[in-house]
Amino acid sequence: MTRYVFDLERSARGLRLNRFLHGLAKADARKLLLENPEQAMNTLSEEERGMVRRLDWKAMQDYGASFFCLEKLARTKGVSNPEMVAAFRGETLDEFLKTRRVPGAR
Amino acid sequence: MARIIGGIGTSHVPTIAMAFDKGKRDDPDWKPLFQGYERVARWLEEKRPDVLFFCFNDHATSFFFDHYPTFALGVSDQYEIADEGLGRRRIPPLKGHAALSRHIARSLVDAEFDISVFQDTAIDHGLHSPLTMMWPSQPEWPGRVVPLVVNVIQQPLPRPSRCFALGKALRKAIESYPEDLKVAMVGTGGLSHQMIGDRAGFNDERWDREFLELIERDPERLARMSIEDFMRLGGNEGAEIIMWLIMRGALAPNARKIHQNYYLPMTTAMAVALFE
Repeated sequence: MTRYVFDLERSARGLRLNRFLHGLAKADARKLLLENPEQAMNTLSEEERGMVRRLDWKAMQDYGASFFCLEKLARTKGVSNPEMVAAFRGETLDEFLKTRRVPGAR
Repeated sequence: MARIIGGIGTSHVPTIAMAFDKGKRDDPDWKPLFQGYERVARWLEEKRPDVLFFCFNDHATSFFFDHYPTFALGVSDQYEIADEGLGRRRIPPLKGHAALSRHIARSLVDAEFDISVFQDTAIDHGLHSPLTMMWPSQPEWPGRVVPLVVNVIQQPLPRPSRCFALGKALRKAIESYPEDLKVAMVGTGGLSHQMIGDRAGFNDERWDREFLELIERDPERLARMSIEDFMRLGGNEGAEIIMWLIMRGALAPNARKIHQNYYLPMTTAMAVALFE
């Protein structure tokens, strides 16, 4: 079982991607990503741009994205945390919600 | 002299703020959460602390991994509300207490806790998601906050024993401030949850309830545990409850828990506890 820890190795690997994601805490950056995504992502590598385009949460996690930076992209795109957690588990949102005590509390 | 009148341990899940801002007080899915905070809100209204000292973490909002502090103390008279991707919450900026903060910073460094300080920095839900459940923001905040940001999101995290010792140093720092101020300590985070990795969605109510007992009766035992222990028992992100140990370390050893609420609706166990 591989265990996930956001440590300094992962942080260094994900730094450029995390910087982009963290930038989405600013309204101008969110607007640019929604209106002109390729320009908004011009600091990223092609691999990184691909993961962001596809909103591939699991791939971004494995690559080195911090969950708390991913949250900024999720908010920009209208994706909830339970949807992200479901993606990390390899489940649909409905499958994940069936494992929760109060599925409506989100 | 300033004195510590009690402490609060509370989760800081972002959906607590969402439920508050959307007025979900009477929604059956959220009612058990709101009810759990009523006793705490009443206590704050009765005791009227001048300052809430908040141990919390920033979520890569105002602090980024280009320079990530382990312990950082806010030393401003005002803190803006941070935009975390949805725009700012419609609550007024937080009032700080710069003079008390500066005194604490000097006192901590003198006690060999070489903390960072920050000012003119916006604060995220780690502090104000629980705050609005306990303290009215209208017509204005009833008091001031002193924020302490703790690194619980990028390993290596500070040891639990260090957090507990920091709490004790904070007690000395606060109690040596010459002005008559009533201060309540707040430790935020948890309880069990893991948002990412192979155990995403993990909770353990049995551990959560044990933690809520130990934080009152035997915090030294929690302080002797490792970060690995906290991650194994409460999930990776659940290890952030080491911030409750800072709060507990600042209280009298014989402080008693006079209220507790536990609610686990979705991905994170939401708890609040009051100590006197």
